[in-house]
Amino acid sequence: MAGVCLAGWWLYGNLVDNLTRTRIPTDFNFLTQPTGFAIPENFGFDPDLPIWRMVLIGVQNTFLAGLVGVLLASIVGLVVGIARLSSNWLVAKLAQVFVEGFRNTPPLVVIVFFSFAVFSFGPLPVFPEALDLKLPGSDSNWLVLSKSRIGIPSLSAERHEGLFWLLVVCGVVAAAGVWVWRSRRHVRTGEPHHRVLWSLGLLVVVALVAFVALGGPYDWSWPARSENGRRLISGFGTSAAYLSLTLALALYTASHIAEVVRASILAVPKGQSEAAGALALSPFQRYRHVILPQGLRIAVPPTINQYLNLVKNTSLGTVVGYADVTNLTRTSIGNANPAPQSIAVLMGVYLVFSLVISLLLNIYNRTVQLQER
Amino acid sequence: MTTAGPSPDRPATGAGRAAPPRPTAAAWARENLFNNRHNSVLTVLLGAGLVVLVIYGARFLFVTGQWEPVRTNLTLLMMGTFPREEQWRIVVQVYLLCASVGLLWGGLTASSRDRARDAGVPFSRARLRDGVRRWWPVFVLLAVLLGMTRTWLPLAFVASALALGVAARRVMEALPEAGRRAAWFGAGVCALAGWQVLSGTGGIAWWWGSALVAAAVVRLTRNVRTDARWQPLARLTLVAGAVAVVWAVYAQLDFGGVGWDDWSGFQLNLVAAAASIVLAFPVGLLAAVGRRSQLPAVRWLSVGYIEVIRGVPLITLLFMGDLFLGFFLPTEDPLSKVTRAIAVMTLFTGAYLAEIVRGGLQAVPRGQVEAAQAIGLSAPRVLSLIVLPQALRAVIPALVGQFINLFKDSTLLSIIALTEILRIRESIHGQREFLIVGIAETLVFVAFAFWALAFTMSRESQRLERRLGVGER
Amino acid sequence: MTKRGTILIAVVAAIALLAAACGDDGDDTTAPQPPPPATEAPAEPAAPEPPPATEAAAPETTEAAEEAVELSQAGGRLAEVQARGSVRCGVRDALPGFNFLTPDGDHEGFDSDFCRVIAAAVLGDAGAVDFVDLATADRFTALQSGEIDVLVRNTTFTASRDGKEAANFVYTTLYDGQGVVVPAATGITDLEGLADANICVAQGTTTELNLTDVMRSRNIPFNPVTFGESSEARVGYTAGQCEAFTSDKSSLAVFKYEIENGGGDEQFILPETISKEPLGPAVLDGDTEWAQVVQWAVMATIQAWEFGLDSGNITSATGDNPALARFLGEEGFDPGIGLPSDFAVQVVSQVGNYEEIYERHLEPLGLPLHGSVNDLWTHGGLMYVPPYR
Repeated sequence: MAGVCLAGWWLYGNLVDNLTRTRIPTDFNFLTQPTGFAIPENFGFDPDLPIWRMVLIGVQNTFLAGLVGVLLASIVGLVVGIARLSSNWLVAKLAQVFVEGFRNTPPLVVIVFFSFAVFSFGPLPVFPEALDLKLPGSDSNWLVLSKSRIGIPSLSAERHEGLFWLLVVCGVVAAAGVWVWRSRRHVRTGEPHHRVLWSLGLLVVVALVAFVALGGPYDWSWPARSENGRRLISGFGTSAAYLSLTLALALYTASHIAEVVRASILAVPKGQSEAAGALALSPFQRYRHVILPQGLRIAVPPTINQYLNLVKNTSLGTVVGYADVTNLTRTSIGNANPAPQSIAVLMGVYLVFSLVISLLLNIYNRTVQLQER
Repeated sequence: MTTAGPSPDRPATGAGRAAPPRPTAAAWARENLFNNRHNSVLTVLLGAGLVVLVIYGARFLFVTGQWEPVRTNLTLLMMGTFPREEQWRIVVQVYLLCASVGLLWGGLTASSRDRARDAGVPFSRARLRDGVRRWWPVFVLLAVLLGMTRTWLPLAFVASALALGVAARRVMEALPEAGRRAAWFGAGVCALAGWQVLSGTGGIAWWWGSALVAAAVVRLTRNVRTDARWQPLARLTLVAGAVAVVWAVYAQLDFGGVGWDDWSGFQLNLVAAAASIVLAFPVGLLAAVGRRSQLPAVRWLSVGYIEVIRGVPLITLLFMGDLFLGFFLPTEDPLSKVTRAIAVMTLFTGAYLAEIVRGGLQAVPRGQVEAAQAIGLSAPRVLSLIVLPQALRAVIPALVGQFINLFKDSTLLSIIALTEILRIRESIHGQREFLIVGIAETLVFVAFAFWALAFTMSRESQRLERRLGVGER
Repeated sequence: MTKRGTILIAVVAAIALLAAACGDDGDDTTAPQPPPPATEAPAEPAAPEPPPATEAAAPETTEAAEEAVELSQAGGRLAEVQARGSVRCGVRDALPGFNFLTPDGDHEGFDSDFCRVIAAAVLGDAGAVDFVDLATADRFTALQSGEIDVLVRNTTFTASRDGKEAANFVYTTLYDGQGVVVPAATGITDLEGLADANICVAQGTTTELNLTDVMRSRNIPFNPVTFGESSEARVGYTAGQCEAFTSDKSSLAVFKYEIENGGGDEQFILPETISKEPLGPAVLDGDTEWAQVVQWAVMATIQAWEFGLDSGNITSATGDNPALARFLGEEGFDPGIGLPSDFAVQVVSQVGNYEEIYERHLEPLGLPLHGSVNDLWTHGGLMYVPPYR
């Protein structure tokens, strides 16, 4: 312990020495200084805004990439994982090639490859000559395709959106109540509870009714380009950097998730499924009540770990110029802001996120373990 | 690609896999591709897609691809700015390493042969052909490299190095058991000498040397019987003395060499990953044991270290190492970029290894510990004699997995401007003639180099997992 | 019992050794330095001992004394370089014309030659340079942490770099300005034509800040597409990620030349110069002696040019006039800046004068020297150095 303290003291002494010698500030005041540079794909960002606002935008971008990446990775991973166990030789083989190919290539290389091979040097036109894909029988585009930016439809808030979300929250509360009610009833009477059906159904009904009653709080905003063709004035624009980062990470992570899925399915003993068959359960019931609950328990912790890895890996977007929090922090360090404090803020952001997730994961593990005994 | 491998749920039984007669092609296709309507549609669709993909891929590889930047800069990609007049050091090191690996491999084969003989089971020696089948990506990579150089010297070099390895294996297998024991040390000495020739007295060669000497001393004093209470102390003194002698000798020695500060290219990726995993092992072990410690301070320190490191991306840690680790150290004699990066990767890997080892520790049944305590072993002895050996055996595959990850993550060093292969690739496109030529091609080459090694390693680790029976508990 | 003892000791020893290895590997990698190579500098007259001792003796107050101690600590850079036998020079390996890697792993270009100039002056051997590749965003940190002795990385001299980044720019080796390049086919001729455009730019550079400033001051909306390095931004532009690419005009000229020669699309560099970009070597603040050494080493190339001395004739040149004699180090003239008296001869004979360096690396890339702002002051340029006396 004493050794650790001494070492810490020595390191701290060196730090203070070096910082005073090079006259680098030791406080966090730089966070309120103007940022000074414009942020990619963020026309609204005024470079005079303070650096903490820049950090927030970075965090937002990190999660934008992380969330979409997680969704894509889950879908692809599930499909590929099941495909690996297919009775069709070609399907199983292709799934294996996909898994082994992506799993054993550095994610950084995959990201750079997507950025160059798919977007930069790919077949798509430059943005001013972008492909506008029209909706059938309409003037609006549903997709704007180019090598530097891709426009997709988005929802734009029209009216009463606050009220709408309030109603949805009420719906969630009601759905939770119904869930509890169905569970209790199931315990009391032994009737099938169907609580997912009941709760989700209620939520969907509430949301639909609220949507219609408020006269459509959201409307589609179709992607369209400005007159000079250089800017997307409606819809949602994603940059090539964002797409290559998200796609590359999604596929890379999917290859890991596919292995998790496969291993989890294989981990359920064959006897379980046979026994379920002997009880005359249908194939769906067999999956729903016997295989899936057991497989899921095995699959969830490693999958969450993969999700965490994916979110942490979004920091690699810095090589393709995606404005995530790491990239922006690095730029601001390059513009004469103090490195130690900037990196402390950066690590804090990731740390808070990771710790919250691992806390949730620990709670989940504990509940699962309790059920086991 | 590979032939239809054994399906993962039914592990292959090695040599005896030639059971049922081969079905005809048509019957096989009916069975595996067109067994129902749904599968037939899938097969046709995917097959068509595959054909298109293969045609495009082949066209890129053999017709449209501009491989000139890779060909011209092959040496640069592999070893970067390593001083060319010192290249002979790499050559010697590779030879010594091949000899070392050959000896190890031969020793493993021979001992499992002996075990099989003692147990009275038939033993089939792993054949070279199997090696080629298992290691084909590495051989393809070698073939690509040699094909691109278009001179005979590298070919002769690779062929002779491989031949040396195979020969060393043969020799080891033919040795009687007593001779083999000496040859095990020979393998260590070869590896050490190789490292030494390359990095000279720089690097961490002295550490290697001391470890080897310590192991030798321990081994040699094994049968010296003295008062049991003093024996450990006496031997500890002996080991410390021997290590001190090694350090003293190293302090005096100076035979040139190129330390890792001057390594770059693919060589740097390999060494950064290898050095970090070796150095991280004790860190991880300490942290894992510390996490289970009774002392709250030690426990919280370990937990803090593990959780903080695992909670942030490697790249932010590398930024930390690059941008402000220097501020924590005196400026007079700053650590080089490479050393700092390896230090950071060591810390990073240490935290993950700690969790892996913890998993291994948890896998050791409590009964084992209780039984050991019951026969009166002290706590450190329970740990070192009962728990760790079992725990570490269980985590070997995970360790290999971690190494593969580290190897892949070594590309991140390019972001902090270490001239590893990805950064060198970028520099190639700073050469006037390749400014915008072959940008995808150089990347494909780099990706393939990583894939070939990582894929082979991961397959070998799966084999190892099956052999150790870790997954079959 | 013995077996257990063996394993216990092995484990303990291994952990102890490994722990020691972790703790000390830094010391170790740097400790066994090769013996200071006998510099080829002929008969270096006992290097004039730097004067920190006298400086430290003068001030009386504790504060000043502290400062002096600091100075003498930091002032060891020259001695450090001499002891090490090489100059650590921070560069970027992918800047055609300025510094790039040849297939043999050598560094070639305008910047790397100035690294060699410094090595030739200080150590008498132009080859005694350790090149350190640096990222754009990390270059000043490398300087601050003492990892490099000098930064020669196409770096712009600005006030906040001089101040906040603790850099000390010793001389401007290239007067440059920021420009913007667009494909000639687009017909864009001024910045206003770039409204709403994607513009490729390297992050953490003055280039990025200047671009932001100028576009804001003129109310032109634009979208920066940032890349970690200028080389990546260049590739991004070439691939069509952006409608324009901004960088120093010298780099743009090199780029345009190479693209058009390689059969690419015709490029147009907007006539407007967005900013002043004086590029030159920088050292860390607080070590005047080392700064002077670097400064005079660099200036010697220009002084030699002014004298009409080049790598071909300097060894045979004789001091016809006193100024030239002093410059050549005849009569052992020593102004006391800490350089050997014949440093100029070493620099010019081993690397060349400014004109040679420029014409070797930048002229072939379509950047003429004569008539430009980088010409000698006697020809109307800005290259003017103080007298060496």
